[in-house]
This record gives sequence, structure tokens and C-alpha cells, in this order.
Amino acid sequence: MATQHVIIGGGPAATNAMETIRELDQQALITLISDEPAHSRMALPYWLSAQIPAAHTHTADAAFFQQLNVDARIGQRVTAVDPNGQTVTLTDGDKLAFDKLLIATGSSPLDLPVPGNELVGVQNLWSLDHTQQLLDSTKNVEQPRVLMIGAGFIGFIMLNAMHKRGWNLSVVERESHVLPRMLNADAAGMVTSWLTSRGIDLHCGAAVESIAEGADGVKTVTLDNGTTLSADVVIVAIGIKTNLAFLDGSGIETNQGILVNEQMQTNLPNIFAAGDVAEGPVLGSNQKEVHPIQPTAVDHGRIAGTNMAGETVTYRGSLSMNILDCCGLQTASFGRWDDPSDDVLTISNPTDLVYRKLIWQEDQVVGALFAGRANDMGMLNDLGMVKGMLQTQARMGAWKQFLQENPFDIRRAYIAAGVPQQLVSTTLLGRPSQPRQYRFGGAVSAVQANQSHTVFVDAKSN
Amino acid sequence: MPKSLKIVPDKCTGCMQCELACSWVQTGTFAPSKSVIRVNVFDEEASYAPYTCLQCDEAWCMTACPVNAIGTDQNGAKLVSEELCIGCHLCTLACPFGTVFTLPKTDKATKCNLCGGDPACAVACPTAAIEYEESTPAGDWFGPWSEKVNKNYVSATS
Repeated sequence: MATQHVIIGGGPAATNAMETIRELDQQALITLISDEPAHSRMALPYWLSAQIPAAHTHTADAAFFQQLNVDARIGQRVTAVDPNGQTVTLTDGDKLAFDKLLIATGSSPLDLPVPGNELVGVQNLWSLDHTQQLLDSTKNVEQPRVLMIGAGFIGFIMLNAMHKRGWNLSVVERESHVLPRMLNADAAGMVTSWLTSRGIDLHCGAAVESIAEGADGVKTVTLDNGTTLSADVVIVAIGIKTNLAFLDGSGIETNQGILVNEQMQTNLPNIFAAGDVAEGPVLGSNQKEVHPIQPTAVDHGRIAGTNMAGETVTYRGSLSMNILDCCGLQTASFGRWDDPSDDVLTISNPTDLVYRKLIWQEDQVVGALFAGRANDMGMLNDLGMVKGMLQTQARMGAWKQFLQENPFDIRRAYIAAGVPQQLVSTTLLGRPSQPRQYRFGGAVSAVQANQSHTVFVDAKSN
Repeated sequence: MPKSLKIVPDKCTGCMQCELACSWVQTGTFAPSKSVIRVNVFDEEASYAPYTCLQCDEAWCMTACPVNAIGTDQNGAKLVSEELCIGCHLCTLACPFGTVFTLPKTDKATKCNLCGGDPACAVACPTAAIEYEESTPAGDWFGPWSEKVNKNYVSATS
């Protein structure tokens, strides 16, 4: 009999699991339940900045679900999971039976517990609805003044989008520097100068005490250092929490997130978890962690989908990593970038905007930080190779010293230590990824006829 | 079996013709900084070798892309759609080979697309250091190259 798969969620972990199950099992019955349309949160800032339409953020529409023969229940939530009866209950009261269940319910933004947080114009900026809400409220304002509370990764992607629109921006951060979960004080200092020189008003080391609204609708935000700031819209971006309240009493083990093994399986064998909501294996560590980032969600979803479809594949663990364009200053962090170890290599040139730090454990790179101008293509390639070193856990041997003496010559050490050779035979699922087509707007993935190419090849062959 | 770019480091003289050809066909300008193939000049090891996307089996860039702006063609090449790319840099972050670039002017990802099956770098190479052929497994040339670069450095420093 066909296996009934139920997937809760519509983010990248859920859709990748759905596609992977379908790749492996044409007969399987798949139901996907999501309160929002299936979409990628990473794409929302580009809708906010008016670079793409809302539909471009969607990863699966009705036609795609139909093509994959998936029963998609969009607009529904799961209110309860019954592991013994192997059923889930939906908001509309429907009860669905499952053989295999994937929980990929993601995370939600935290609320700010201060007076005035309920005012219209004080909002989170996390979901499709939040983005629409902000676009609506600023539609007729020539240059909206937006104050963001929280200077974390997610807030800053949105900040970058609002900067592109030329909005008037200020930021309040409780900790002593911006991006406290992504950058150290030195790299954050470069970001601060960069943003300040672009007219963004930053207030670090200050907490919001209250938000008040004047007769004209303008918000006044009072900080604990006595400063008051005015804004048309206040964005609360102080962090996220995993969505697992509906699992209370289900017997599924949780900590910060749902605890899963290296097959993305919970303590209950037929129930899996993936993405932001999962607390899973970490590369090079025995700890489990929540890594709420798109690449981890994709890996989780594909590993979970494979195991749900009856094959066995083991996850080596996720690598914490972030890349962030701070209004033209590119920053990236990998692995244990905040490890207090002093076995580090740091290159810092605040005037030329170059910052690099490699964190070593013996002869392995276990963490890295980068900051530099967004047009520094060398840095972008180097950070990819450093990611390769972390991903393969390469022993760099004598090349550790070489890198300490030649920190901009990543390539030579990378090649010599055999990193690409090791990577080329490695895949996540132990098999090649399936060919893909573009999905939005019916675009076809094929190389376009190219005049330059024709001219060049003709000239060479004559 | 699809063809792949096979690099023969011992034949490379470091002339950079591949970079020029690549930037010309990819962007219509002779600007090696826009080339998606890069010659590694390791003078101390007397080793020169071009390096570009291997069109790897995993395709970390393709799976990481949040908007499915990277697809495959009949050659197994992973192609970025400039139209669909939103410029989020996740492919650059995900690719452990460091071979997905982002062009500063457009803020779009760009990478080797095998020129639709007739790679200009291989056509341009005067010494046949770049060949486009069936190769098992893809990237098998990495081993000898790594060994040579490694051996020369380690023997010089120990």
C-alpha cells in the first residue's frame, strides 16, 4: 500500500522534503499543510525593495503541487499531533492519518514586551503578511522613517532592502554592537562606520523602554538612556523562536527545537523534523543546535525526505553560516567564528574595509569571519573556499602556517590540501542532485544563443 | 556520460587566454575580472592551472538557491538565470569550491555555464591544458595537481 506522508510547513525544508519524497517514490501519497503559501523567506527582502513581485518569492504554486501530485492544504495549521493514533488535527477540524510525518513549522519573531508594542505601525517583518503590511502602510509616504529594533541578521537583510528604497532608517540594538550573533566587535565596527556614513542612525547598547503615538500617527520611541526617536513605522526584529507549542503533550522530545538524529528523525521513529524548528546535528561537534538558515533547511528537508521515503541517508551535520550585504558592505561568518580560542589569524584594515579572521583548532579551520566591499570578488571566492575547508574538515598540515603568512592566498592552500578533490566526490544524499528547471514565470534553463561566443569560436576555427 | 572540463595543469603556461575568452563570451568585454575561469599562478611551485566550476554532482549552489534561479541544461551545466536571480549571495555562500561569482554592477550571480556545450576557454587554450571531454570521474585531475603543489611547498619548507 502507498505510504501516506504528511508534511507540516511551507518553507524550504518542507518543499525540499516533498520534492525528494516524490523523486524516490512515485506512488507515495503526500499531503502538505501550510498556513502561508509555500515560499522562501530569504526572498522577501527583494520583494520589499521592489526588485521582484510577490509571486517570485513563492516556491510552489497550485500547478506545481499538482505536477508533483501533492495534496496541498494552504491556509491551514496543525493544532495537534497524535503520535499513537498517527494523526494530525487541522484548524478546520479535519483529521489526517499519516505513516510518516515531517514537522517543518519554522520559527516566529519574538514580541517586544514594552508599552506601545500593540500600536498600529509597530510590527514584525518576518512573513509575507508582514511585508505586505509594511508595503501598504508606506505606499503613500514619500520617504518613510523606519525605526528597527534589533540589529540582527534578519533585521539587517530587511534594512538593506529599505535602504535600496531610499527610506530614512534608524536602528536600536540592546547589545554593544550590531550583528552580535554574526560578527565580533571589530567587524561590526566596520559595519557601523559604513552604515553611519550612509545616513543610517545607529543606537547600540540601548534598550527600548516605550513606544508612544502622537496625534499625527508618528511614533516616539524612548530608550533607556533617555534618547527619543521618531518614526512612521517601528519594526520589531529582536529574534525568533521555534514554532513548537502545538506539540505540547505529544511526547516528541524538544529543547530549543525538536531534537532530531542524523536522519532527521525525532524520538518517535515515524516523525521527522527539519529546518528552523529542528535542533539537529552540527558538523564537527557532538552538540545539537538550531541553525535557522536557508541552506540548512534545504539539507534537512532533503535528508528527511530521503529517509521518509524508505532509503537511509545520514547527515554529517549543518554548518552555521551567514552572508549579509550591509548596504554595500559584504559580511560572512562560518562555524565557530565566536570561539574564544586565541589560535586565530586576523587581518583588519578598517580604512580599506578588509576584515578576515580564521579560527583554528590544531590544523583545521573551524570558524571564519569576512567583511569587505560587495564588489570584492576575490573575497567572495575566498570565502567559498574557506567554506570548503570547513565542510570537509580538512587537515591543513603545513599549510596552516602558509595561510598565516599569506592570508590572501587561500587558493594555494585549498588546492594543496586536496579540498576540492575531496568535495568533488561528495554529495548530500550519496547520489547526484536531480536536474532542475527554473520555476518562476515558465523560464527555461538553457544557455541563450550568444553572439560573442559565435564570433569567438568562428574566429578561432578559421 | 556528459562531458566536463578537464584541466591538465602541467600543460598550462599561465597565458590567461582562457580568462580573456571567458570574459568576452560571458560579458562581451575583455575583462578578466569578469571571467568565471581563473588561472592560479603559483610561481613558487612553477605551477599554473585554470580553475572553474566542475558542475559538481551535488550542485550546492542550485539546491541553496531560494528562488530556483539555478537550473540544469542537457550538458549537466548549472545555469544561473540572470532574470530570476535576486542577488542574495546564498549560492556564493553554499558553493564550497568558490566558483560562483557575483557581478558587482548587476548584483547577480554568475558562474561557468559550459558555454552551452562549446566552452570558449577550451577553444582558446593554446596548449590544450583545458579539454572538454568525457572524464571519469569528473575532476580526477585534482589529485595530481594537489600533490604537486603540496609536495613542492612542503619540501621547500621542511
